[in-house]
Amino acid sequence: MTTASALRMTGISKSFPGIRALSDVDLDVNGGEVHAIVGENGAGKSTLMKILAGVHQPEAGTIELAGETVQLANPIEARRRGIGMVYQELNLVPDLTVAENILLGSTPARLGIIDRRALRAQARAVLDELDARIDTDDLVGSLTVSQQQIVEIAKVYAARPAIVVLDEPTSSLSEHETQSLFRIIRRMTDAGLAVIYISHRLREVLDISHRVTVLRDGRLVETRPTEGISAGEMIRLMVGRDLTDVFPKREVPIGDVVLSVTGLSRTDEFTDVSLTVRSGEILGLAGLVGAGRTEVARAIFGLDKLDAGTVQINGAEVSIRNPRDAVRAGIAYVPEDRKRDGIVPQLSIKDNISLAVLDRVSLSGWVKPGAERALALEKAIELTVSPPAIGPRVDTLSGGNQQKVVFAKWLAAAPRVLILDEPTRGVDVGAKADIHTIIGNLAAQGTAIIMISSELPEVLAVSDRIIVLHEGRVNAELPRGTSEQDVMHAATGEVSS
Amino acid sequence: MSTPAPPMSRTVQRGLFSHYGARLGLPAGILATLIAGTLVSDRFLTVQNLTNVLINMSIIGIIVVGMTFVFVTRGLADLSVPATVAVGGLLVLGLESSIGTLPAAIVGILAAAIAGAINGWLIGYAGLNPVITTLASGTIVLGIAQVFVGGVIVYGDNPEAQAFLTGRVFGVVPVIVLIFLAVVVMGHLLLSRSMLGRWSYAVGSNPSATGASAVPVKRVRAMAFLMTGTLAGLSGVLLGITLQTARPGIGTGYEFDAITAVVVGGVSLLGGSGTVLYAFGGLLFVQLLTNIMVLLGVPTEPQGLVKGALIVGAVAIDVALRRRGGRE
Repeated sequence: MTTASALRMTGISKSFPGIRALSDVDLDVNGGEVHAIVGENGAGKSTLMKILAGVHQPEAGTIELAGETVQLANPIEARRRGIGMVYQELNLVPDLTVAENILLGSTPARLGIIDRRALRAQARAVLDELDARIDTDDLVGSLTVSQQQIVEIAKVYAARPAIVVLDEPTSSLSEHETQSLFRIIRRMTDAGLAVIYISHRLREVLDISHRVTVLRDGRLVETRPTEGISAGEMIRLMVGRDLTDVFPKREVPIGDVVLSVTGLSRTDEFTDVSLTVRSGEILGLAGLVGAGRTEVARAIFGLDKLDAGTVQINGAEVSIRNPRDAVRAGIAYVPEDRKRDGIVPQLSIKDNISLAVLDRVSLSGWVKPGAERALALEKAIELTVSPPAIGPRVDTLSGGNQQKVVFAKWLAAAPRVLILDEPTRGVDVGAKADIHTIIGNLAAQGTAIIMISSELPEVLAVSDRIIVLHEGRVNAELPRGTSEQDVMHAATGEVSS
Repeated sequence: MSTPAPPMSRTVQRGLFSHYGARLGLPAGILATLIAGTLVSDRFLTVQNLTNVLINMSIIGIIVVGMTFVFVTRGLADLSVPATVAVGGLLVLGLESSIGTLPAAIVGILAAAIAGAINGWLIGYAGLNPVITTLASGTIVLGIAQVFVGGVIVYGDNPEAQAFLTGRVFGVVPVIVLIFLAVVVMGHLLLSRSMLGRWSYAVGSNPSATGASAVPVKRVRAMAFLMTGTLAGLSGVLLGITLQTARPGIGTGYEFDAITAVVVGGVSLLGGSGTVLYAFGGLLFVQLLTNIMVLLGVPTEPQGLVKGALIVGAVAIDVALRRRGGRE
C-alpha cells in the first residue's frame, strides 16, 4: 500500500541561540504510509516539523517533495506545496460553523457573497471522504474537543495536501475517540496521502504507524518498520539507556485517612462523589475524558464552587471557597493544563516556586530574598530541575522541567494532600520517571496523593486504589492489581465490582 | 552531569544584544537627549532649567508610579486620573479655609482614594473592563467635583503652603521634588521587594496560574487602581497648592502623559514586566525631550506629534521583543 517517496529530508541541521536543535537529520516518508516520529521533549521533533511547515529555515540540508527539491520559505509556500499541518492547539473559529471552518480561506462565493449551498456540499464531501459523522451546520464551539480535532483535520484535508502532519493528536482524546481518529488516518493513507504522526503515546504509535523514526538530542537514531518493535525497545532508543521501569512504585506504609470528601456535587459536572485518601496512599482517579475527574479535583481545590458536599481534613470539616483556603487546609493541586494554570511564564524559576507560599518567606509583607532563594533552591535541587539555576525565566525550560517547577511550587507548600492532574502529560520518558520518583518520595513522607491520568498503564502501576468515574459519578472502586480491562469496563459505564 | 559549554555562536551574541539592548536603550536615550540638549541650547544644562524639569515632572511622576502598577497587573490603564487629580486639587483649596491646609489635603487624598477603591472593586472583584470602568468613573467623579465647586475656579488662601512646597531644601531641591522622589523610591521598593509587588507581576503574566497558586488575584488587581487613585489625589493636592488655583479641568491630559511615560519606560501594556525605575526613566526622557522642544520654541502641536510617535514606537518594540522572546 505504500507507494513512491512523498517526502525526503536529507542532512537537516538547525540551531537556535545557544541550542543545536537538529544535526544532520534524515527523514523519508512514502505516500500511503503512516510514519511516526518519536523522541523525548527536546529531541527535535517539533523543530523538524516546523522546518517542513516553512516556519523555520534549516541551516543545512535539502527537502524533496515527490522527487523535486524545494525551498519552503514560509508557511504559505509549504501549504501550497501540499503540506498540511494539524497542530496540538487547534486553529478553529468557534463562532463559525463546521462548514465555514473547513473551507475557511477557500470559501465558495458568487460575486463576493458566500454560496451557502456549495459551502455545505463541499464541506460534506470532505467529511464523507474522511467518514466523519459531524453536521456541517453545527457551530465549532459547540463540538467536543475530539470533534473539533476532526474538523481541524478536515480543514487541512480540504486543501488537498500530499503530506499531513499530526502533532500529538490524541493528547486530549479518550481511548474510544482515538480509535475514530485512527479510522480517519487510515482513510487518508488509503487515498495515498503520507501521514506523519508525532506522539508520546507509544502504544498508539505501535498501533497506527508503518515505520517509526526515533530522534534523540537533535540527531537521527534510527528509522525502521514498526512491526517487530516493542514499546520497551522504543523507549530504549529514545532515551539511550534502559529504563527498567518508567513508573517505579515505592512501597510505603499507609496511615490514617487525611482527606475525606462526602457527597460532592456540581451541576452538569459531577454528582454525589465521595472518596477518602490516607496518608502515604496514592489514589488513582480514572475515567474517560469528560467523566468529571478534573472537575472534582478543581472543586476540592477551590477553583470551582461546589453545589453540595463536605470536605474533611484529618477528620475536621474545612470550608474551601478558593485555592487560598485549600492551601491553608494543606491541599495542593498540580493542574492538568500547565500553561494555563501551572506556570507564570514571565517570572523566574525561583519566583514560580515561592509563589504559593510567599508569605512563609516574607516578613510583614516584604519578601526576604535570602529565605526565598534558599527555599527555591532547596526544592529545585530536590526535584532535579535542570539546569539547576533558579534565576532564568521559567518559560525558557522544557515542558518536563516546567512541570518539575510546578511540583516544586507545591512541595514548598508542604501539603498534606496533593492532587495530581495528568502529572506526566506532554512530558518525555526521562522526566516521567523523575516525576514518579518524586511522587513515590512524597507518599513515603506521608502525603496523601490523588492522581488523575488518562494513561491507564500509569494509573495501574502507581495507584494503591483506583476510583473510576463515569458521567460524573463514582462507578467503581478497584483494588491494586486491577486489570486494564476492569478499569475500562467501569469507565464506560458497566458496573464491574 | 557536565556537558561542555557550546562555543558562543553568532546567534547567541545576537540574542545577548537584543536582551541588553532592551535594557540599555532607555538610559542611552536619556544620555543622548542630555547631550543633544546641551548642544542645541545653552540654557539647557543649567541648574535652573534642570530644576524646572524636575518640578514639572513631579506632579505627573507621582501618578506614573501608580500607573506602573496598573500596567504590570495587566489592568490596561486608569483613565480616571484627570478626575482624581481634580478631586485632590479642588478639595484641598476648597476646604483649607475652613479646616486648614493639611486636613484639607488629607481629605482630598482620601476622596481620590475612595474613587480609586471603587475602580479597584469594579475592575478587580466585579471583573469589568478597566478602560470602560475608569472612563465612566472618571466622568462621574468629575461631575461630582464640578457640582461641589459650582463649575468655577477655586482659589487658595495659604501662600505659606505654596512657599513650603516650592521652597528649596539646602537651597537646591524643591520640597515637591523630594515628595516625588520619595514616592518613586517607595513605589520601586513595593514593586520589587514586597509580596504585593511579586503578586502584581504574577497576576499580569498569567492570572489563571496565579490564582491557582493561592494568590488573591482580585485584591492585587484592585490594589493597583486604589494606588493610582490615591497617588493621583496626592498629585492633585500638590498641584492645587503650588498653583493656588484649581478648576475641574486641572488634570486634563495627565492620564495621557502618565501612560506615555510608562510605555516609553518599557513597561508592557500586556502586563507582567517593567519596573518603577524604568517608568521614571521614561518620564525623564519625555520631559527632557519636551524641555528641549520648548527651549527651541517648537509649537505645542508638533510636540504632541512627537509624544504620540514615542508611544507607538515603544509599544511596537514591546510587542516585537515579546514575539521574539520565550519559547514558541
